[in-house]
Amino acid sequence: MIKSDLKNDLNTIKGYATMIKVKNLRKEYDGIVAVNNISFEVKKGEIFALLGPNGAGKTTTIKAILGLINYDGEIHIDEKDAKNKDVKKFIGYLPETVSFYDNLTALQTLQFFAELKGADKHKCMKLLGEFGLKDSANRKVGEFSKGMKQRLALAQCLLGNPKLLILDEPTSGLDALGAYEIRNKIKEMNEKGVTILLCSHILSEVQELADRVAIMNKGEIIAMDTVKNLGKMLDIQPKLKIEVEKITDSLIGKIKEIVKEVKVDGNLIEVSCSPDLKLQIINEIEKETKIIDFKTIEPTLEEIFIKMVRE
Amino acid sequence: MNGIFVIAKKEFMDNWRNKWIIATSAIFLILTLVTSYFSTGKWSDIGSTIAGMETFVILLIPIISLMLGYATIAGEAERGSLSLILSYPINRKEVIIGKFFGLCLVVATTIFLGFGIAGIVIAIKAGIDAAEYLSFLIASLLLSMSYISISILFSSLLKKRSTALGTAIFIWFLFSMIWGMILFGILVIKYGMDIIMQESWIAPDWYYIAAMINPNQSFEMFVAANVKPLQQLQRIYLPSYCGSFSPLVLILWIIIPLILAIFFFENRDL
Repeated sequence: MIKSDLKNDLNTIKGYATMIKVKNLRKEYDGIVAVNNISFEVKKGEIFALLGPNGAGKTTTIKAILGLINYDGEIHIDEKDAKNKDVKKFIGYLPETVSFYDNLTALQTLQFFAELKGADKHKCMKLLGEFGLKDSANRKVGEFSKGMKQRLALAQCLLGNPKLLILDEPTSGLDALGAYEIRNKIKEMNEKGVTILLCSHILSEVQELADRVAIMNKGEIIAMDTVKNLGKMLDIQPKLKIEVEKITDSLIGKIKEIVKEVKVDGNLIEVSCSPDLKLQIINEIEKETKIIDFKTIEPTLEEIFIKMVRE
Repeated sequence: MNGIFVIAKKEFMDNWRNKWIIATSAIFLILTLVTSYFSTGKWSDIGSTIAGMETFVILLIPIISLMLGYATIAGEAERGSLSLILSYPINRKEVIIGKFFGLCLVVATTIFLGFGIAGIVIAIKAGIDAAEYLSFLIASLLLSMSYISISILFSSLLKKRSTALGTAIFIWFLFSMIWGMILFGILVIKYGMDIIMQESWIAPDWYYIAAMINPNQSFEMFVAANVKPLQQLQRIYLPSYCGSFSPLVLILWIIIPLILAIFFFENRDL
């Protein structure tokens, strides 16, 4: 009994237990390999992102997890075979292209999906309210804007309090405000303990949201780790931006003795360096002139991604 | 089981909301009353009424059923809504069966509403044998269910809505025109026009069996075997096995395509 309680407690701790386990997943379409023998795990409570260019195999991977395509390999969700329809009771899925029934109202749409999941139909109105669609509950979905449809799609994901959300390009086609709202909702859900598998090609979005990232290219996972660790692995140095009072040739010369590349833009000096050289550079600058401002910028996912895909 | 019910209910409610059921029922009602009254200027008896109705039932019910079912899988798969449905705790078999029952309920409602109300009017005006009229309604329903099953089969096989539409039109032509023409052509080539036009001439068994494979002709045989005034009116020879086997053929047309649809859909990538 104690052991069982302990196991349950440990399973709820973020990053301890596995929510999705993909082993040797392979999928071909008419002889063309879409996903080539990939394996990865998504831990409970984390936001895990699949990142890659178009045709990398991200959507195919998601479709395999949801049982929408036939595949070779093994997929387990919460230790159960993904092909078992019961596992879908705790999954919420947001497809890349949202397609609802135009002749149904927003409320009827949510009620239909709630019935499919065996979720409480009476909570649909509350859910619409959470996504700012309460006033449009009785409007037909066919009359909705792209942003409203996307919010409705996210609302349907949350029916039946899912433990796992699979989001395929969640902010695709949305304006800046709409995308911001959706990202906040994703963070909010994750804070409540929901595991999130995110598939996106928007690098800044993945960098903002994801705990770990798997970079896919040509059907394979070419790297998988946290953004910070991926940067370290590729030896992409953090950037140091220093605004100084006055730039002189001797100052630049002294910095170049420490690091090879120095960019100068007005009174701004930009260098890429390892953290241990940071203090040395600052000391050299302070000997010559006054520092007005400085900041360290960690490697961006864009830099990592471009380097990975090129290599 | 819940999944089948939810999908069936949605299919039915979609067609209820878009007034399809009401519109088709009204067409059936008007056509039946027109056939019964205006063809002779007075209310016709059951035989004449059903003889007249048979013509438009054979043309209309297959096309209506095919139009209802052709996009049910192909269209939804193309749009992406099927992927969303299948991300819920429902399996593919339940989707197919749910859609089948939902669409069958749609046509059953139109048949029993349209023909049923017309039957009551004709019964009041001219008298009607309820059992014979009911057997006609059941035959119409079986015909419709077989075309729904066929349409779900090719909808499960085809990826594009437009291809599915083309297939629906081809199937309608095949069973409404081409099938009968081919069989008649074979008879003419084999026996000659003069012989087969003789009133006393009886076609060989293979002709009736081949004709019975066509759901439209199976429907006609089923109706002819069960509505006695129709037999007297049409004076067409029909071997006794046609009456016994025709409902079975219609039932096979319902079951086999549905089983194949489940098989193909379960192995299809979305």
